[in-house]
Amino acid sequence: MLKKLFLVAVAALALAAVPLTASAAGKIKIGFLPGVVDPFYQVMQLGVEAAAKDLGLEVVTQVPATWGVEVQTPILDAMIARGDLNYLITAPTDKDQMIGPLKAALDSGVKVITVDTFLGDGNYVTGPVTFPISYIGSDNVEGGRISARGLAKAIGGKGTVYINSTNPNVSSVEGREQGFAEVMAKEFPDIKVLGPDYNLDDMNKAAQQTAAVLEQNPDLAGVFGTNVFSAQGAGTAVVNAGLGGHVQVVAYDATKAAIELMGKGVVSLVLAQKPYDMGYMAVQFAVADAAGVTSLPRRVETGFAIIDKDNVKDPEIARFIYQVPGQ
Amino acid sequence: MAGPETKAVAELATASSASLPTSRQFILVLSRLWAWAFLGLMIVFFVIAVPVWNDGSVNFLTLRNSQNILVAITPVLLLGLGQTFVIIGAGIDLSVGWVMSLASVLSALAIRSAFNAGLPLFPSVIVGFAAAVLGAGLVGLINGAIIAKLKVPAFIVTLGTSFIVRGVALLMSENTTVIGLPADIRDYGSESLFYFIRGEGGGLYFLAPPELTGEMLRRMDRILAYPVIVTAIVVAIAIFILRKTQFGRHTYAIGGNLEAALRTGIPVDRHIIKLYVLSSVTAGIAGFLSTLRFTAGSAVIGDPLLLSSIAAVIIGGVSLFGGAGTVMGTVIGALIIAVLTTGLVMLNVQSFWQFIVVGAVVILAVLIDQSRGLLVGRRARSRHAT
Amino acid sequence: MTAPILSIRNMTKRFGGLTAVNSVNWDIYPGEVVGLLGDNGAGKSTLIKCVSGVHQAEEGEIYFEGRLSQFARPMDARRQGIETIYQDLALANNLDVGANIFLGREEKKLYVGGLIHTLDEQKMLNEAKATLESLEIHFPSLTQPIESLSGGQRQAVAIARAIYWDARLMIMDEPTNNLGVTEQRKVLELIRRLRDKGVPVILITHTLPDVFAVSDRLMVMHRGRKVTEKKTSETDTQELVQYMVGALDDTKVQ
Repeated sequence: MLKKLFLVAVAALALAAVPLTASAAGKIKIGFLPGVVDPFYQVMQLGVEAAAKDLGLEVVTQVPATWGVEVQTPILDAMIARGDLNYLITAPTDKDQMIGPLKAALDSGVKVITVDTFLGDGNYVTGPVTFPISYIGSDNVEGGRISARGLAKAIGGKGTVYINSTNPNVSSVEGREQGFAEVMAKEFPDIKVLGPDYNLDDMNKAAQQTAAVLEQNPDLAGVFGTNVFSAQGAGTAVVNAGLGGHVQVVAYDATKAAIELMGKGVVSLVLAQKPYDMGYMAVQFAVADAAGVTSLPRRVETGFAIIDKDNVKDPEIARFIYQVPGQ
Repeated sequence: MAGPETKAVAELATASSASLPTSRQFILVLSRLWAWAFLGLMIVFFVIAVPVWNDGSVNFLTLRNSQNILVAITPVLLLGLGQTFVIIGAGIDLSVGWVMSLASVLSALAIRSAFNAGLPLFPSVIVGFAAAVLGAGLVGLINGAIIAKLKVPAFIVTLGTSFIVRGVALLMSENTTVIGLPADIRDYGSESLFYFIRGEGGGLYFLAPPELTGEMLRRMDRILAYPVIVTAIVVAIAIFILRKTQFGRHTYAIGGNLEAALRTGIPVDRHIIKLYVLSSVTAGIAGFLSTLRFTAGSAVIGDPLLLSSIAAVIIGGVSLFGGAGTVMGTVIGALIIAVLTTGLVMLNVQSFWQFIVVGAVVILAVLIDQSRGLLVGRRARSRHAT
Repeated sequence: MTAPILSIRNMTKRFGGLTAVNSVNWDIYPGEVVGLLGDNGAGKSTLIKCVSGVHQAEEGEIYFEGRLSQFARPMDARRQGIETIYQDLALANNLDVGANIFLGREEKKLYVGGLIHTLDEQKMLNEAKATLESLEIHFPSLTQPIESLSGGQRQAVAIARAIYWDARLMIMDEPTNNLGVTEQRKVLELIRRLRDKGVPVILITHTLPDVFAVSDRLMVMHRGRKVTEKKTSETDTQELVQYMVGALDDTKVQ
């Protein structure tokens, strides 16, 4: 924890130097390539665009329609082929398969900052992958731990719970599953964990899978949806089965739909990440790097806002709900 | 052979109406070439619009970009090539996307096992290729056998096998990406025949670039990546088979009039099986190349590509009723889709607009195909697929 | 009396519960045109499909040119010289004239010791041109798909195909069906001339005037059975109609 504080402090100091030197760095152009179209990345885009505006530079954004390396890679190639980008802020859709294409981007002169998901093992200092400037994202393992403890409390410390997740081999959701399973195994031996099932980022499939598990385990006590689509899909299944309020759902990612479900008593805990921070800081890092700063931390863990029905109305907390103006 | 009956047949022939007037023939020729024209117009549009939109900092038809486009069309084109044969034969193969995924997983597992067992890199890659092609070919065999012998419509059969294949792929990959492959296989998946270094100290290199770092590395363009060469070879073979061999002609005949093919003694059942093996094998090659490129096997990689491959085939002028179409048409169709995606990215337009445009072009292609049929008074054909 | 070129003995063909051809005996002699008549569903098409190898009869034998023959596939019948021109002409509309004439029996060029072959398109085009010229047919283009030709022209292609392959027995299923009057007359003339050349023709038709115009003998089927066999000169339209609808039946008269 202390180490984290230290890193954030260093980051803050490094960033403090940025506004002075931004103009000196000259106009840089940044590319933004998130994972897929969803509220989480839309809020991240808000952060990216806000930082771009504040620092006076241009961002080229392309959002893949579906999640997958075969969709993200051609778009990546085209963005690099433009030849006018200096930095690329991206959420790699597979921590191993995207190493090649992103390394090729670096070879073409485009430096890479990963947000939300990382390459390799996320340790860009001593790990297998070291070429990205930094990884800015949630400590997903910790997020998984928090979710586990929250769900355990909500169901009274015993019972059967189920994990519904999105894609295998994606660092973010993997970390969440890992942290969740870890805490359940160590701290709540009376809780049995089912899953994870992968819905491949399809909300309908998430609902179907959850419904099936509900059928099979009529005494299911809780569900952990590891991201936007998983949580919404699982929540829908619970409502459709008429079990809203009896089966506790913990949702990772604070979409408006998840908050609505919390209002209806279906979801008991929502973990809001801070995608706005990720996007904003990524742009700042790019500018800092362009200005010659070399002490940027290689890993920044943005925090969480833990939302439950008691604090959801508190504006300090509610501002972390993923809202895009106009939607 | 000559004789008095010949005169009767001759009179028979000339008694009926003459063939089409030249204006109609002109329109017919035009309808076959429209896809080429469309592609050309699109390229011209992007060449002009991209620099204008980006204040001169970005160009469309750069060496790197054109090579990117060639690499981008590889999976869709390979799937589309097999599909071309099947659709000309009045069938359809909805399983190619998942067969590609299965092949990707099989080749990854094979390469990993072979390499870990001590086999050197290149033979391991060959083992992976064999695994991909054999696995895919097996699926094609099953598809073709059920369609030909049990007379179940192709639409249904290939839809059914696509689910089975998907399950097998996910099972074998244990629901995750198959990793742990030797990183050097990426060389086969993305290295190229030539390397060109722009500017100072530059030049053209064959097969292996000099060790470069930093600034010079940035100025290096890859020309003719290995996947592109493999695809080009497959395209050439496909053109040869379709145009020059009995197999190709029989494919057209079966698609044009199944009854005629049966009655004139063409071994239709065997031929249909071969068509589906062909489309599965090309999907297998696509899966293998994808494993090399991403150094991993993925059970979900082919899923979004099925519809794109069919779109490419239709835009290229292959009639869904069978009996008509060319390989070059499918190549043009795949190029149209890839040029569109790349151009849109360079214009900062969200790339999902490509779906809308591609959809419109597909409908346009079908309309043109229909009206061409009306012009020549196309007669009803028998089909063996929905 | 010369030996029959085709002999069918006790042929029976069933499709599930339906007996399409029921114990038919029939002889065809060289140099004659024989009409095969019957109402829809009488079994005429099925009978000749058994002869041409499309179907295999459950019972009975076929003797062609004196030899017991079994045609497991259409190709087997064609190889023996039995050429059939079907109602739908069995032409591939998307292929050109040459391709259609050689359909199923394409000429090939071999390379690499027989491993690779290509279509010998030049040879096929030349042969097709020669055949058509010898028949004094002129098509505007031999390389356009035949779907743009008229009914009569496509009929000509079908006939040319049969002639090219040296038919020893010609079977024609409703050849005048979709033709205009002038073209109909010409088809009948052609049939006469084939007969004069010694090629026997089995003519399936509904059109009784055709039968009287061109055939030497005829056979009528009703509900799968042969109900009469006569010389054309010894009957008339009214009588034939009676046979066709089942009002008259020689097999039941004892």
